[in-house]
Amino acid sequence: MNYMPGTASLIQDIDKKHLVLLRDGRTLIGYLRSIDQFANLVLHQTVERIHVGKKYGDIPRGIFVVRGENVVLLGEIDLEKESDTPLQQVSIEEILEEQRVEQQAKQESEKLKVQALKERGLCVPRADTLDEY
Amino acid sequence: MFRYQSLEDCPLDEDEDAFQGLGEEDEDIDQFNDDTFGAGAVDDDWQEAHERLAELEDKPVASREQDGPSSEDLDLLGDPEDTLAERLTRLVIDSELEDPAIMQAVQTRGPAQQPGGLNSSIWDSSAVLRRMRGPLLTQEMPSVSVLDYALPQRPPQPRDDERDPSERALPRRSSSPVIGSPPVRAVPIGTPPKQAAVPSFNQQILCPKPVHIRATLQQRYPAPYGERMSPNQLCNVPNSSLLGHPFPHSVSPVLTHLQRAQLLGGAQAGRMSPSQFARVSGLVGSPIPSVNPKLLQGRVGQMMPPASGFRAFFGAPPAPPPSQLQHPPGPGSHLQSLRPQPQMFRPDTTHLHPQHRRLLHQRQQQSRSQHRSLNGSVGDRGGHRSSHQEQMRKDPYANLMLQREKDWVSKIQMMQLQSTDPYLDDYYYQNYFQKLEKLSAAEEVHGDGPKKERTKLITPQVAKLEHTYKPVQFEGSLGKLTVSSVNNPRKMIDAVVTSRSEDDETKEKQVRDKRRQTLVTIEKTYSLLLDVEDYERRYLLSLEGERPALMGERKQKICDMYDNLRGKAPGQDRPSDDHFMQIMCIRKGKRLVARILPFLSPEQAADVLMATARNLPFLIKKDAQDEVLPCLLRPFSHVLYHLPLGTVTSLVQQLTNLPQSAPAPAPTNLHLTAVLQNKFGLSLLYLVLSRGEELQSSDTNTELMQDNQWTELMLMATRELLRIPQAALAKPVSTPSNLLSLFSRYVDQQKLNLLETKLHLVHGIR
Repeated sequence: MNYMPGTASLIQDIDKKHLVLLRDGRTLIGYLRSIDQFANLVLHQTVERIHVGKKYGDIPRGIFVVRGENVVLLGEIDLEKESDTPLQQVSIEEILEEQRVEQQAKQESEKLKVQALKERGLCVPRADTLDEY
Repeated sequence: MFRYQSLEDCPLDEDEDAFQGLGEEDEDIDQFNDDTFGAGAVDDDWQEAHERLAELEDKPVASREQDGPSSEDLDLLGDPEDTLAERLTRLVIDSELEDPAIMQAVQTRGPAQQPGGLNSSIWDSSAVLRRMRGPLLTQEMPSVSVLDYALPQRPPQPRDDERDPSERALPRRSSSPVIGSPPVRAVPIGTPPKQAAVPSFNQQILCPKPVHIRATLQQRYPAPYGERMSPNQLCNVPNSSLLGHPFPHSVSPVLTHLQRAQLLGGAQAGRMSPSQFARVSGLVGSPIPSVNPKLLQGRVGQMMPPASGFRAFFGAPPAPPPSQLQHPPGPGSHLQSLRPQPQMFRPDTTHLHPQHRRLLHQRQQQSRSQHRSLNGSVGDRGGHRSSHQEQMRKDPYANLMLQREKDWVSKIQMMQLQSTDPYLDDYYYQNYFQKLEKLSAAEEVHGDGPKKERTKLITPQVAKLEHTYKPVQFEGSLGKLTVSSVNNPRKMIDAVVTSRSEDDETKEKQVRDKRRQTLVTIEKTYSLLLDVEDYERRYLLSLEGERPALMGERKQKICDMYDNLRGKAPGQDRPSDDHFMQIMCIRKGKRLVARILPFLSPEQAADVLMATARNLPFLIKKDAQDEVLPCLLRPFSHVLYHLPLGTVTSLVQQLTNLPQSAPAPAPTNLHLTAVLQNKFGLSLLYLVLSRGEELQSSDTNTELMQDNQWTELMLMATRELLRIPQAALAKPVSTPSNLLSLFSRYVDQQKLNLLETKLHLVHGIR
């Protein structure tokens, strides 16, 4: 920002811990090590965080290279406030299980919805194939 | 080349001298190369050169001395073993350069020794003029040597045939140093070079020398028209970097052909990676010992503006120590190499604007000076800094992205800001900042001085360059190459445009075409309008001499617009409003007319107004969905202010469709009814009436002249108004205040009261 006022740049964010939300719905947390003009990111010591309800689980992933176009948003994590969360961390297996359960429930309700609409003669809204989460 | 074309030609037994020469250097000759040596042995030097070449092939990493010693370097030429020994020692050092720890040790030897130790032969000779190397270059390994190999222009040498470096280069890799092919890299792109900082005076070297490889390119640093710098942004940014470093005599600023080609080749690739920049810089490097390779990587010297307000972007003094200076001792620690400004000799926006360049340099200097001072006195730092340092020490992976690379990214961002016409490309931002600065200037008048220093993003204007693309042609060949590219598209399909005849079309198609024609007319007129609106700004920017021409252009465009609007009728009058009506039926057309009206002359504007009034019911009907007509009210009212009473009278006539002299009014005046029932119509009527009243009350002379017409009209109009039920009346945009006095002239009190209530002419009722 101080290079060019009125612009946004990731240069100031380098070597800081970031939370990155990707287009496929994944949440990555890692240290931003390198960028380029397309906002391709290199994340170091990356952790994929899965949230289900009030619980979350971290899967360590190592080094991530993210293509810029797949980033929805990213933001710096304040290290002091990082631990100050009401969320509860659980193990990976547990969170994956929770996620599976959640997905199932969603699918069920979606099915019911579609059926209800069909019964009433209304058309089913098609989901955009790109954003499936 | 060799005197003998083939083995057969070689007089093996006849040439005693050659063989004697051979015998002397028998021990140096590779036995397997006997044939070659024996057959083609002409000169001693050839053998030597070949030997060296053989050595080169063995070496894993090329060293820089293999570029072919010049003729003046007797040392190298006359003493192969000595050179070999030297080279070996250098080779050892080279490999050690990979290790940063050793690098530091090496550097502490003293930079003066470096050129002496590594490059003595070069520096001793006047060949340096051709070579343009520095100690930096010596550390840059393969690419440089390749460069030098491929140098097409070499100074004339007595044994230049054998010495021709391109020959030697061939066994390794054949590369063309011409534009279009990517520069040869033995080190892959993106490898950060391990050099120390290159002083930024390179820019000065490179700046004034435009490359001339293709069509003529000019150096351009145009007056930044569109650029607005707040008064606090200094143009006199310290340019010491540019001039401060003394040029050593031995370094000439001329780029060799190849180096330019490399630049351009890199530029053509679209972007130059940081390593390439450094390499390029190395070409024009200097042996200035002030370059301290010990400079550690650190964050960019951040001139953080205070949170409260903006600060002069350029004018900030050498910034306070950055908050995140680091001493990473870990593997991330590299030598900092401050990359000089990459000069891409390409037209237009690939040049970094001087101000941007200055900005980058400033930043580089800042970080450099900070690093230097940091090296000197670590203990003196403030508490906050040390804590940051600690923090950074804990992060061994910090600064994997070098400062150079960060600059590279921000340079790309800066270059994206350059445009040939900021007002065209970035209209809203430019206008926004214009407004802001006007505001602050206004504030300044009252206050003591500038309260807030706004840092404005510099969006420089770069001159447009014309360059015509000429497809590749070989000399002496007939015809053109069948190469098709973006710049040189080839006709693939022979498509012929056939226009349909009028008879074939159905009515529907005709209607559709007519509408399309109208749309096209609207678009054309809109373009003219935008141009005309822009003339004011162009006046300010143009020179005195150009202004009459601009004025003429503007007038012409206005005429064209009017013609477009009304349709180019052959006769004097414009008998048909048809064309105009077509335009007015379309929403965009109405807005177009509203915007054009201020530019038209009073007569033209009155004409438009009349046409509108005449066909108002039709327009109202068509406007039912869009309801855009009210946008015309304001320009119409402006027009009305300039109209004389006669015109106003005719206007009223048109609006109300009341015959000038009618024996008895028709039972229903549909025209007037329609007008009154529409918001726009009613408002327009009020406006016109109000204007008439103004004129009447102000100027007694005209009153006498026009009295009959006007009075009759008014009488009829008021009669109609009285007749129409109140419910049918629309709600006008505004009711002028003098209508009451207007009506009071023509009707008695009772009817006046009626009118008053009906039309809500008195304030407060609404």
